[in-house]
Amino acid sequence: MTRKRALSPHARALLAALLGAHGRWSYGYELASLTGIKSGTLYPLLIRLEAQGHLEAEWQQPAASGRPPRHAYRLTAAGERLARGEASLSASDRPAAGWRAGEAAS
Amino acid sequence: VNAARRLIASRLLAAASHLLPPDLARWYRAMAREVAEIPDDGAAASFAAGCLRVVLAVAVAARVRAVRAAVRDLLVPVPPSPWSPPMTTGITARPRLLGLLCGALAVGMGMAYMLAAGAPPRYLIVNLAALILGGALWLALARTADTPPAKAGLASLALAAALLLTALSGLALEGASRWVSVGPLNVQVSLIAVPLMLVLYARRPDAVGTAAIVAAAAALALQPDRAMAGVLAAGLVALVAAQPARLALIAAAASALAFVSTLLTPDTLPAVPFVDRILYTAFDVHLLAGVAVLTGAAALVAPAVIGVASGADERPALFAFAACWSAVIAAAALGNSPTPLVGYGGSAVLGYLLSVALLPGGARASRRGGAPAARSDAGHGTGHPVSKLQAARPI
Repeated sequence: MTRKRALSPHARALLAALLGAHGRWSYGYELASLTGIKSGTLYPLLIRLEAQGHLEAEWQQPAASGRPPRHAYRLTAAGERLARGEASLSASDRPAAGWRAGEAAS
Repeated sequence: VNAARRLIASRLLAAASHLLPPDLARWYRAMAREVAEIPDDGAAASFAAGCLRVVLAVAVAARVRAVRAAVRDLLVPVPPSPWSPPMTTGITARPRLLGLLCGALAVGMGMAYMLAAGAPPRYLIVNLAALILGGALWLALARTADTPPAKAGLASLALAAALLLTALSGLALEGASRWVSVGPLNVQVSLIAVPLMLVLYARRPDAVGTAAIVAAAAALALQPDRAMAGVLAAGLVALVAAQPARLALIAAAASALAFVSTLLTPDTLPAVPFVDRILYTAFDVHLLAGVAVLTGAAALVAPAVIGVASGADERPALFAFAACWSAVIAAAALGNSPTPLVGYGGSAVLGYLLSVALLPGGARASRRGGAPAARSDAGHGTGHPVSKLQAARPI
């Protein structure tokens, strides 16, 4: 049985980037650039997200002719639900964190 | 410098990709394609180095899981799944060895019965001597275990000739000529020859063997020996059912004709104490004596039945063997025919142990096919769960 555990900041950032793509396919290097996640962390996340059914991956032909296909990713419906849930959790956390930061600053 | 770093990292990544489990190989291709798309050499080198770390970590983790699974399988063997072929390594799939043990059990049960029934000590000694002689012959015929005997047809011809000679010049009693004198013993040749011929023919059903069977059927009709003619027919019908073939059909038809011929001749032989009809009389002696007789009779067919159920090699030979000895038991139940092994008589003991000695050994399958299959299963057990384990891990 999968243990319920809080997602890592990298996983949350990746989900947010994929959610922000609004169903468009994204490439690995593009996601790494968007999120600032190193490839050594990005690919294990992608592999696990796909294995858990949150991510779909397929080989896509680039627009430029003669180039070999690239592996592209986008969220599944389950992945979108997970990403939205994480986004709302982060949003509800933010005021508290800000209040504490403000309190500490005052 | 960055171009060189990019090249080295890409080459190392490509080399390390061979360590990945097959179900994750596409992830290497995905990484390599991304590296190729990055215009800046420095960024590409860093990206490739990160990918190399992923590939190595995944490869090591997969191997650790494989070793752990192998150790677990070794310590706690996984039971075979319902659709997997039966195990072929145990004694149950070695009819030849199992037959020797069952033969010894049946003789032991028979001796227990004879002791309880008050049979002369000479009877017990004859059965024990036949068991020892049969065991020695079983050892001598070890070479037949792996492959069907090369000269099975010639051996069958010799046995058929012995049956014919017995019919023509053997000891006669009440119009039946079935025995030859060997020292102080009268040996019933058909009880030795017919089981041997059935197993030999089932393992190598060639033209010479078919001719031998036809000759043997004629000899049994001449003697006449209704019980053993029926045994020969039963064994061949079982063989044809297990492995239909033109020659086997001819042999079965000839033996059926011989059996019908013996049915037309009245069998006037009287029942002999401690030999015939003991399936009925054993319970009159003692309950345990009756149980011993039934246990001994059941043991005779056990090697073939268990061997077939366990997936032993050369099933047609096992079918013929089972039909043969079932028919001998049925004949003993239906008429004044010797009760095999359990009753007095070295002929049946020798016939049984010799026919057992000619059965397939059964270990061939485990040596040649069983081990690779087991390795293959282990591979499945360790390879596929990689993605499942990844799916179970938190992101």
